[in-house]
Amino acid sequence: MSTALLQELHQEYRRLYIAGSELAAGDFRLKRLLPQFQQLGERSPVFKKIGEGIAALLEPASSDGPAPGVQLQEHTLLLESVLYTQGTIAVDGTPGPLPVRNFTLHTKQPYRKLAPVLEALSTTGSGRHEIVVDAYKEGAFQDLRLLPPAVAALSDPYSELAEYAMTNILPSYGPGIAGYLLESLDLTGGRSEVRKLEVISRVGADEYLDQIFHAAGNGSEEIRAGAIKCLGGYEQYLDHLLEWSTDKKKAIREAAYTALAAGGSAQGGERLVEAFIKKKDREMVAAVLARWPVAEVSTRLAALFMEELKAAPQDNADKKLTDKVWDELLPFITALRRERSPQMDEIYSYVLQEYARFSPLGWITLIEHAAWYKENTPDNAALAELEALDKRSARFLPNYFRAAQKTMSPKELFNQFCGTFMDKLKALVGKEAKDAAQRSQLLIHTIEEQTVDIRRRNYQVEYDAAGVRQYSRDLLPSEEIAADWDPRWLDWFIKQDAVNLAGTFARPGHQGVRDYLIGKLKEPYKRRTYDYIPNIFKGLERAGVPEPERLELLMTALENNNVHTPYTFEFYLVKLMERFPASYASRLEAVVPKYRYECKQQLEYVLNSLRSAK
Amino acid sequence: MPELTSTYVDSLAPNAAAIKNGQGLVRKKSFVELHQSENGELLFGKCAGSGKTPYECSVDFIAADSPVFRCTCPSRQFPCKHALGLLYAYTEGQTFTAAPVPEDIASKREKAEKREENKVKQAAEGVEPKPKKVNKSALKKKITAQLEGLDLLEKLVLSFVRGGLSTMDRSAVKTIQEHVKQLGNYYLSGAQIELRRFSNLMFGGKDQEQNYTYAMEQLTRLHAFIKKGRAYLQARSEDPELALDHESTIDEWLGHAWQLSELKEYGLVKEGAELLQLAFYSFNDAARLEFVDLGYWLDLSAEGGGIHRTFNYRPYKAAKLMREEDSYFEVAVVPQLYTYPGEMNARIRYEAVTPRQVQGTDLQRAAAQAHRSYTEAVKKVKNQIKNPLSDKQPVMLLHAATLGVTENGQYVMTDEEGTRLLLEDLPSVPQGTVELLPFLPAAAREDCYILVMFEHNLDQGRLRAQPLTVIKDEEMIRLLY
Repeated sequence: MSTALLQELHQEYRRLYIAGSELAAGDFRLKRLLPQFQQLGERSPVFKKIGEGIAALLEPASSDGPAPGVQLQEHTLLLESVLYTQGTIAVDGTPGPLPVRNFTLHTKQPYRKLAPVLEALSTTGSGRHEIVVDAYKEGAFQDLRLLPPAVAALSDPYSELAEYAMTNILPSYGPGIAGYLLESLDLTGGRSEVRKLEVISRVGADEYLDQIFHAAGNGSEEIRAGAIKCLGGYEQYLDHLLEWSTDKKKAIREAAYTALAAGGSAQGGERLVEAFIKKKDREMVAAVLARWPVAEVSTRLAALFMEELKAAPQDNADKKLTDKVWDELLPFITALRRERSPQMDEIYSYVLQEYARFSPLGWITLIEHAAWYKENTPDNAALAELEALDKRSARFLPNYFRAAQKTMSPKELFNQFCGTFMDKLKALVGKEAKDAAQRSQLLIHTIEEQTVDIRRRNYQVEYDAAGVRQYSRDLLPSEEIAADWDPRWLDWFIKQDAVNLAGTFARPGHQGVRDYLIGKLKEPYKRRTYDYIPNIFKGLERAGVPEPERLELLMTALENNNVHTPYTFEFYLVKLMERFPASYASRLEAVVPKYRYECKQQLEYVLNSLRSAK
Repeated sequence: MPELTSTYVDSLAPNAAAIKNGQGLVRKKSFVELHQSENGELLFGKCAGSGKTPYECSVDFIAADSPVFRCTCPSRQFPCKHALGLLYAYTEGQTFTAAPVPEDIASKREKAEKREENKVKQAAEGVEPKPKKVNKSALKKKITAQLEGLDLLEKLVLSFVRGGLSTMDRSAVKTIQEHVKQLGNYYLSGAQIELRRFSNLMFGGKDQEQNYTYAMEQLTRLHAFIKKGRAYLQARSEDPELALDHESTIDEWLGHAWQLSELKEYGLVKEGAELLQLAFYSFNDAARLEFVDLGYWLDLSAEGGGIHRTFNYRPYKAAKLMREEDSYFEVAVVPQLYTYPGEMNARIRYEAVTPRQVQGTDLQRAAAQAHRSYTEAVKKVKNQIKNPLSDKQPVMLLHAATLGVTENGQYVMTDEEGTRLLLEDLPSVPQGTVELLPFLPAAAREDCYILVMFEHNLDQGRLRAQPLTVIKDEEMIRLLY
């Protein structure tokens, strides 16, 4: 049966549906088809019937016959039925075996678990990131059916989701994913294709180097850069990388530098030094080296650094020149950030010696970096250098203090920094007193950084149905404070009214700290009061105040606060509230309306547990 | 009481949100009391809500297989999050203190028991439920109205054909909506759906040319429906018994919702069936204004029992409160299986079900029902789809000697006779599956059984199939859901 002819007729009928059945009468394209059907109709009754239909449409019999619309519907219905029996299942070409994947995944997830994730990955709108992240954590992506959407997510318009797929989801499939991604790699593509290459470089590209090399030479600029980065560390491509490192395009050069640095070959190092010396790409190379330092390169750059420092201007007469030189020096700091060697010691000693020269040039960053370097390579010489630096400017007190911590005993440390200050403080007036106060503040700040609110800890929020995770920060444990710090610090902190530190350093049997902290609670509330309330209560616990008393103090604090509602209570405080005796329920109920935001939820949660404990 | 696991509780929940909310209550420690009866059959507790008094909720396992949920909350979702939360609290190992069964629950239990007793008594006495009396004159009136409605529909359809689809603009949508409303007065809910579908096909897609193709097909289908419907209704109005047609789907097209008792009356019920779900998906049917949960099941209990469909319709307005079906991984043991009139994948329904673990022999039995010759299978398919009112996407289980892919990326399955069948993603299935084929384990690429959905593409004159599930030995790999 001539299916093509039937198809053609179907197209003509379709045209009449679009144009209107009134136009069927005398339609010349239908007329053209009619003889063929009539001819075939002599042998086949179906074609005969269809042919009669065409004829009836072309020449409507009379006004009392069925309307052309009805006829068109009738004949199309017949034609469609015939066509439905003529559908071909033939395949063009001979099938070969299915491609083999290096990994198999199961398909055990039920619809209700899969569908929301698929929807999140195939639509736009809010809340998708959370669904995807949760699903990934539950291991849902080990279901085969989520793999193609996970790959498609690389081009998600919401870049955070795309990045998540790139850094977490896809690498979790292991090295097998690389081949799969390469199959669909579009060499002319954009960001999503680069992400594919990024995934490949994460899971390892060993088996697919040919294809990646091809992409590195033939793709769009972005693709080439991505592919070149994957080739670092493979010796057979070294020559190409060297060639690309002199490419006209910046992105290609950068990719080549990255690959060379990651590869760590001698020739590659040579090329990096060359590029650094030429100054044009200095910043770029420095950023690359900061991530992938190469030992020989560092040694040679250090020598160069010293040379250029020595050649730096003597004064700020030519501002433009000073700035230019500085721009050329900064990449050294970046590139050599992690380098530690006698050579570097010497460089930064030189910088500190030349304080009087570099400081007026405005190169404070350089001096700060030197101070930071010295602080982290503590020996007596470095300490002396930092002490001298501190005398020049108080901003370097923290560096000096931290370096001293590493070499001095706790007692010496306290004597060095506070023993003298305190004596002096009494006698000082005017500017000197102001300086001393500034130094005290700096010192407090430095010590706070080391002891207060360190150590992030994650916890599951119980009062929120969604089970969001939050984190709290802890103080340095009491045992470490007792071992590493002089006991006199506590008195000094109280004197300085450093409430966070007083709470942190509080210890049992010290009446002063107990009175001081309770006194702080009784002070009128200010906007910032809440910031240190958790540390006051932590301090009271450290000071050995019995729990019932602390609970009462906390309850009173909740009642007294009339000024400011924080957004959320610190984890420690909530944990403490959970220990409230059941008798507090009514007091708590009375204060709940005063609070808003998450605090309110927390208090309600505590209240619920109090009631259920009853 | 069945073993309470969180997966089991998940399966009781009406939808994914209810699972989350129920678990949230446990995490928030909203349950202020948790108790169980002495024999452990009843779990009950109190859960703090937004009001002053906590809700009292309970789950009764007096009939272990069908727990009864009770709660004092006003939620229309069933079971509500409180009852689910109660179960999650139990699965998490929280302490449930022993307590006597509360009075109100005891009395409710008693009443339920009495009802049950009455039922048993009636069954024992052999009292057949009284046959429903049919008000024949009212029915005749209804049929006359339906015939009038068909006339109205025909006029509208013809006006579209006469005027041409290209002249239809947005104002036509309004005309159609008005007609949809009117058809409701003529008891033609099936016609309402098909007319709305026409409107959606005509104005829904972005590709106007494709819209025309679909709209044209829908117009001819409406034509066939009017013709067949009219003939059927006329015959029925002349038939003194005015019986329903229990062999074709025409009654459903006209909008008849079959009741289980009617199906029973026509002998469309079977005792003791075992069903294996082969595929499942859920979609939004904008013409019906409903979400549809569609399951494909193989009847294991009969030779050539065939593949059936379960439909769970969730109207937009009530979707939140209704249970959303899910993939079913066990064998469903069904005491009474009702089959709707229909062809290849007739609709089935059941009231009670007991799950049973799938065994290797179940899959062997399923495989035994597969078609081995594509020529014959295709013949069957074509025989069905040539009828304008038939389901155009029949689903079949086919045996594949090999699976392969051609140079231009077409996936192909081949039977033992060497006949090839093109595999392609169909536009009407929500998820593509063919690109998953290369992930099949090596063993599953030959001599396997594949559930496929057929669809004829009119423009290309091709009959294509989309793979939904692959069965190999004792493993079932679901490519869809």
